[in-house]
Amino acid sequence: MAGPDIAVTGLGLVTPAGIGTAASWAGVLAGRSAAALDPALDGNPVRISCRVPDWDPDALLGARRAHRLDRFSQFTLVAAREAITDAGLDPASWDGARVGVVLGCADGGPGTVEEQHRVLVEHSAHRVSPLLLPMQLPNMLAGQTAIEFGARGPNLVVATACASGTTAVGVARDLLLLDRCDVVLTGGGEAMITPLVMAGFARMGTLSRRADDPAAASRPFDADRDGFVAGEGAGVLVLERSADARARGARVRARVAGYGASADAHHVTSPHPDGLGLEAAMRAALADAGCAPSDVGHVNAHGTATRLNDLAEARVVRRVLGDPLVTSTKGVTGHLLGAAGAVEAAFTVLGLEEQLVPPTANLEVPDPACEIKVAATATATRFDLALSSSMGFGGQNAVLALTTA
Amino acid sequence: MFEKLKEILVNKLKVTPEQITLEATLEDIELDSLAVVELSLVLETELGVSVSDDELLEAETVGDMVKLIEQGSARV
Repeated sequence: MAGPDIAVTGLGLVTPAGIGTAASWAGVLAGRSAAALDPALDGNPVRISCRVPDWDPDALLGARRAHRLDRFSQFTLVAAREAITDAGLDPASWDGARVGVVLGCADGGPGTVEEQHRVLVEHSAHRVSPLLLPMQLPNMLAGQTAIEFGARGPNLVVATACASGTTAVGVARDLLLLDRCDVVLTGGGEAMITPLVMAGFARMGTLSRRADDPAAASRPFDADRDGFVAGEGAGVLVLERSADARARGARVRARVAGYGASADAHHVTSPHPDGLGLEAAMRAALADAGCAPSDVGHVNAHGTATRLNDLAEARVVRRVLGDPLVTSTKGVTGHLLGAAGAVEAAFTVLGLEEQLVPPTANLEVPDPACEIKVAATATATRFDLALSSSMGFGGQNAVLALTTA
Repeated sequence: MFEKLKEILVNKLKVTPEQITLEATLEDIELDSLAVVELSLVLETELGVSVSDDELLEAETVGDMVKLIEQGSARV
């Protein structure tokens, strides 16, 4: 492999498919959609969502800590703790000054904002919680992670809407290559399933309206798809330079071999119809990794199940890569928005380890306009290079090239 | 009043009940300036007692806060 050598040494997941990497991965491989009617969305035009099942922040974080965290930070701290343990690292003894945090989210804590706005309108400004800002500011995702684990290195949150998780991993990798730190906790967390945000998505026409059959609503690349289902959760990866990982005897789960990013400069919500921006990001990731398009065995696609996204993305995959096995794990998890890219990068790492391409849930009749090979079932196959791609509102594209350890 | 304050600290601010004694300092029960503003707000909405966060921050211990709240209720 000609590209820069960054190792993934730890994974942590909190997703609608389950809490923990093992539960999430098992849920994804089973191809069972997590989508269901959501009582919190009663009265909304769209009431389907993918919630993290049996979420009990008091039990996982302690009631006092959980009380002062918005849901997006709660998910992320739990995922980060798992990732650190998985990497065999110990925050009690690491050199915190050399541990960076780069996380992505699209919206911070809208649930907290909406709750406190209600207090303002129904009572008065004097009743607004002093925790409003420390809970909802997007950067708290990285700030709270630093506080929790004593990570005192470079610390930031990136926002590229639905590409945020992927962008974060790319930026984290760059920090390691620049020797700004030795370890980075990276990924993303999101909790945007709130009445106001969901009303906004519904008004944009981006959400599936299959209310009579929620489990069939998230159907990427299917001919009958009609929009995405919003999900929530977090994914955290521990990255280190491979030489450092080897030196401390860490298990290298996969490598981040390349990263590419671009902007469509086209439209706020619609991808470029020919996916020119995504193509640029994909080619950049491959060039960075020193790999040929034909080396790519698997793509974990953005695959939101909107009409426009899947079509544009399929065109790019066909044109740039040819015929790799594509999957969208959003059929199971729904769209985790700013956390999606992080969670999907983790699934791609697991796929590389197990030489297994996860299924695209609800793929019944592949859209003939999407001229790519989409995995409908979990498929064992040999591959050393996989891409995980993301596209965000605003036209931001990010692609990771991941390889076997 | 100690019992009422303890109930609020436990139920609203999620402080661990075992930590709350009359002698415990604000630091012992992890009440920072944000939590004290929160407490002042809850005292007003739950008990109708007006004690400002500045007054509460003067307190060294839970016992001191109890005295302040008692004085605050006397003012009502």
